[in-house]
Amino acid sequence: MKKLVLVFILIIFSIPILGGCWNQRELTDLALVLAVGIDKGEGDKKYDVTFQVVVPGNVASGQNGGGGQGPPVVVYESSGDSITEASRKATKKIPRRLYYAHTSIVVIGEELAREGIYNILDPMDRDPEFRTTTVVIIAKDKRAEDIISILTNLDKLPMNRFIKTLESAEAMLGENIKLNIDDLIGAITSPGKEPVISGFVLEGSPEKGTSPQNISTTRPPAMVSVDGLGVIRGGKLVGWLNNFHVRGAVWLLNKMKGTEIKFDFEGKKDAVTTTPYLSDTDVSVTFKNGKPFANVDIDTAFKLSEMDTDFDIEDPHKIEELEKKTSDVIKKEVEAAIKEAQKYKADIFGFGERIHKSNPKRWKELKDDWDNQFAKMDYKIQVHSYYRESGVRGKPFWSDMNK
Amino acid sequence: MSILTKMLKKKQVQRKNDNYRQKLDPSKPEELVIQKDYSANVSRIEEELGHSADLVIRQINIGIVNGALLFIDGIVDGKGISEFVVETLMDKQISSREVDVFQYVMDQTVALGSIKTITNWNDLYNALLSGCTIILLNGYNKAISGETRGGELRSIAEPTQQLAIRGPKDAFTETLRTNTALIRRRIKSPNLWVESMKIGKVSQTDIALLYIKGIAEEEIIQEVKERLQRIDIDAIMDSGYIEQLIEEQTFTSFPTTYHTERPDVVSSQLLEGRVAIIADGSPFVLTVPALFVQFFQAPDDYYSRFDLSTSVRLLRIISFLIALIGPSLYIAATTFHQEMIPTTLAIAIAAQRENVPFPAFVEALIMEVTFEILREAGLRLPRAVGQAVSIVGALVIGQAAVQASIVSPVMVIVVSITAIANFSTPVFAMAIAARLLRFALMVMAALIGFYGIMVGLMIMAIHLCSLRSFGVPYMAPLAPFSGPNQQDVFIRYPFWAFKDRPKFIVKGNVVRTGENQKPKPPKQSSHKSDKLEENES
Repeated sequence: MKKLVLVFILIIFSIPILGGCWNQRELTDLALVLAVGIDKGEGDKKYDVTFQVVVPGNVASGQNGGGGQGPPVVVYESSGDSITEASRKATKKIPRRLYYAHTSIVVIGEELAREGIYNILDPMDRDPEFRTTTVVIIAKDKRAEDIISILTNLDKLPMNRFIKTLESAEAMLGENIKLNIDDLIGAITSPGKEPVISGFVLEGSPEKGTSPQNISTTRPPAMVSVDGLGVIRGGKLVGWLNNFHVRGAVWLLNKMKGTEIKFDFEGKKDAVTTTPYLSDTDVSVTFKNGKPFANVDIDTAFKLSEMDTDFDIEDPHKIEELEKKTSDVIKKEVEAAIKEAQKYKADIFGFGERIHKSNPKRWKELKDDWDNQFAKMDYKIQVHSYYRESGVRGKPFWSDMNK
Repeated sequence: MSILTKMLKKKQVQRKNDNYRQKLDPSKPEELVIQKDYSANVSRIEEELGHSADLVIRQINIGIVNGALLFIDGIVDGKGISEFVVETLMDKQISSREVDVFQYVMDQTVALGSIKTITNWNDLYNALLSGCTIILLNGYNKAISGETRGGELRSIAEPTQQLAIRGPKDAFTETLRTNTALIRRRIKSPNLWVESMKIGKVSQTDIALLYIKGIAEEEIIQEVKERLQRIDIDAIMDSGYIEQLIEEQTFTSFPTTYHTERPDVVSSQLLEGRVAIIADGSPFVLTVPALFVQFFQAPDDYYSRFDLSTSVRLLRIISFLIALIGPSLYIAATTFHQEMIPTTLAIAIAAQRENVPFPAFVEALIMEVTFEILREAGLRLPRAVGQAVSIVGALVIGQAAVQASIVSPVMVIVVSITAIANFSTPVFAMAIAARLLRFALMVMAALIGFYGIMVGLMIMAIHLCSLRSFGVPYMAPLAPFSGPNQQDVFIRYPFWAFKDRPKFIVKGNVVRTGENQKPKPPKQSSHKSDKLEENES
């Protein structure tokens, strides 16, 4: 009897750990939502929500081998005054239960992003089914539904295409940041820090992008690509950082995994290209004359990847010059990024957060007027770059031919 | 409850005595003793054996005395009898009346190694029916019994159940004496004691109890003896009968006694303080006490190096778990926890299941039951038609079943990996336990998902911890946990560190490996190196 009681106690105690998912449903009764697009309502409702649902039979090689005939995903539209309303109303059109655990991307239309994103984040944060690792992006200049409806090649599932593009561009170019709901909410709630969200643009015609034609040609008429970082202030999109501004911001946020830097050398324009592949950014905020002052310290190691001029790569002086020029470019970009952010009065680098951590007393005085303080803030940037290798060659192959 | 007890009570009928021994009335002692008239004795034997066709009676005459030679055909060494008994008896002709013929025959004629005098009927029947030759002489109220056991027997062959890549290749046979010999050859110690008894009212099966005096605990030996003596059954056909009659807990699917057909395994277990029970007619020898971890130890573990055997052992434990919870994980993940499956796989499974009409549980049940039928059929089928099973089996569990939209390809893989994993348990009895509990866990998974699997495993763990084998906790040395006894659980320690016998079985004589057994490179002596240098110069 005692044993039996013990068994039941053990079972009951494990309920809170394992609970939360009790109802049985077969995989074939679920509509796996891969991506959600949220736009400002065009009709009388507040939001237009689009759901990209996978059609399993058309993706996986089924019983007969090879994919099916139709497109791998189908997009359903719905509208409502709240996200939940739209989601529930969508079931009028969808024969299966919408299942969000595999949603890996949320696309927000630019129009809606400019109006504010707080409201739409709450249902995703609240729903246990929705993963907080879902990536958030903004559809630049377009509606989210256009981006969501595009068919893509290489990766059959459009959402994979988005995620992988974000990842590869982040690793190779360093002009975007992969941000998930958890990070986004963390940045919004953290005092003295504003989030940045990667933008996606649609090149070509949105109509043609939804037809199978888009994946049956070698040059698709519609393409999506990563472009820029959206600066958020107070939950609203206030502007975009583009190209080298983005790169400067990525350096500052210590998210740089790799990029390319080109500069003039020995009088020749854009003669050398280097690729930093390791970097560490150290930011500290101190007070100078009673005002906040940021010290930015960047260390990076780079490879030489291209040279359009002939010089002795083994000459220590030349190497020093290479290192200096690389540092200069980085420094310029970082400065530009800070200036751009100051223009938007959005502390996307988390300078305020650093004060909050290191000097909470001063932060109390500063926090109410932080946006303006940030805009006026002074800073010092130091970049140290280190030359590591020149690839599998010293001088360019043509250097001897000319002699 | 009361109905049940009533039913049980009704069935209790007086057990009939089928044993010859009990048929005799102890109050008439003259019936127990062999008579002087040999022909009366012979006809009594004939009568009591029902004139059985295999009883051979040969009349002999040694000069002045008449007698008879009796044996059971088939279980005796016929050549030996004719050569060493009949021939020598016929050579001798005694004419003098002064000689004690009985003593003379015993001492000078019968050329057999083991010879005994028998005075009562009990011993006579025991000897006769176990293959001895009985010589009755007129005028003597006793008989000579000569050891002539033999006949057609299976010779020692390779093991068929517990195979090992490396290690001895002999296996036990159906003959008790051969089996004890196989062990005796391995342990040449006077401390290896063999006790014998007979179990089975009708069958009178010889049972041997083996242990090493000084290592095995007296308590355990006594307990085994008591339990064996308590057995009151018609016959022992296999050691499986004994196993089921002496185990502590019947209502469990886990084996609490260990059985093996390998003499090397039995010998090493005797050296760990266990007691072996050999039943005549069974090539499977029981050893007790048995522990849960023991069923994951294969003979190869000790014959190959410790790193290899440790990793293989871990593999075995993992495959036991796969065999136990494989299909239930599939059911739980596809019907309750779709978020646990990587997106691409989830889509792939969804696509495969698109055309399957059954829920995951029914699908899994169909496949598992099909496989079990196949396995059973493969076991029972006569060799000649055995191929048919593999051909049909490949159809039932394979592409054809998938194309018929009865199951999904993933399910086929799950069933196959489960089946293969199940075969990697070294002892079949433990594999069966996993096979049986798998279905229970599948039901739990279908009802409440991973939670159900956890509840099932927890109940299983509690049950396992409650089991005992001859007083030793079944889960030892895991529960109760004992650090120094982990030498042979998940990791098989290298032999130099493999110091102690399991301390929950052996209490006194625990050390099995001496000090400083770790192999080292030979020390470079300075003398030697000097010499080398000299040679070089």
